[in-house]
Amino acid sequence: MSTLHVLSHSPFGDDRLNSCLRLLGSADALLLCGDAVYALQPGGAPFSALQDKKISLFVLLEDVQARAIEIPDWATVIDYPAFVELSIDHDKVNSWL
Amino acid sequence: MAKSLLIVSRQSPWSGPGAREALDIVLAGGAFDLPIGLLFLDDGVLQLAAGQNAKALQQKDLSANLQALPMFGVEELFYCLDSANARGLEKPSLDEAQPLSAEHITALIDRYDQVITL
Amino acid sequence: MKFAIALFSAAHAPSSRRALLFAQAALAGGHEIVRLFFYQDGVYNASGALVTPQDELDLPKQWRTFIDEQKLDGVVCIAAALRRGALNAEEAKRYQRDAVSISAPWELSGLGQLHDAVQDADRLICFGGA
Repeated sequence: MSTLHVLSHSPFGDDRLNSCLRLLGSADALLLCGDAVYALQPGGAPFSALQDKKISLFVLLEDVQARAIEIPDWATVIDYPAFVELSIDHDKVNSWL
Repeated sequence: MAKSLLIVSRQSPWSGPGAREALDIVLAGGAFDLPIGLLFLDDGVLQLAAGQNAKALQQKDLSANLQALPMFGVEELFYCLDSANARGLEKPSLDEAQPLSAEHITALIDRYDQVITL
Repeated sequence: MKFAIALFSAAHAPSSRRALLFAQAALAGGHEIVRLFFYQDGVYNASGALVTPQDELDLPKQWRTFIDEQKLDGVVCIAAALRRGALNAEEAKRYQRDAVSISAPWELSGLGQLHDAVQDADRLICFGGA
């Protein structure tokens, strides 16, 4: 069984990313959208945490473009059709509202 | 067979209608006899603190509603041990709620068909 | 693949636009949406009382058009809507309020409709927060 976790809050001053990373299973994936893509700001603590975790990581294209963030090669940029497919590839989607 | 649903409640009890509206989803599921679970995570564990006084804020008593969950057919109740420890919550007021480590929460989410975290 | 989509954030939240774009992409990909369920602040997406500046994205209007054109089931949680002052004609009459802000294609109903959609769908996708 695998879960696609979706985060949309900024990782700075918010528990969601840390809680999510603690609960992430080995078959799970993480999609960053909205302000959650700020986690990939190089040099930040969330960046290091994600890099060390070696998880299956996806980011939503429009949010990356809007924020002018450079995406490391260990993350995959996806559009909406790919978001839909990603939600089908996993057994369930857990959005951290 | 009916699909199971896990509600992950992350809001503190007095921060707005969030905690109550999470509980309402659970109660509605129980009313329809659906397999439903409730996990308290992060600030959500604060809903389980003993001796809370809803009247001080002119609110309805959420704790009383939580105590009644088993009567409404919701028996799968859990809380995150790490969240409770981080907030100094030693003895949750809901006896039926089982403490779970992070690894057990991963397994719990795996076990349910769908999940809502709010 | 059958999707149930639930929205928890107000029309001005980025997550509400994301929900609409996901829903559009799901249909474009040949999938089915069994129900759109609007809960918590998500009820504001169904409000006909929102006035968006002309040069800004009018999300409630886009939802309405989308639901109309695709003949989708757009359900607003009645308890969440009442609490936030989003009423249809029937509820306004019941509670003796002047303001009506929800009308067809939107429907006010209970949380049972969310559970029903979860049972019916292969995937539940929730949008909300930021």
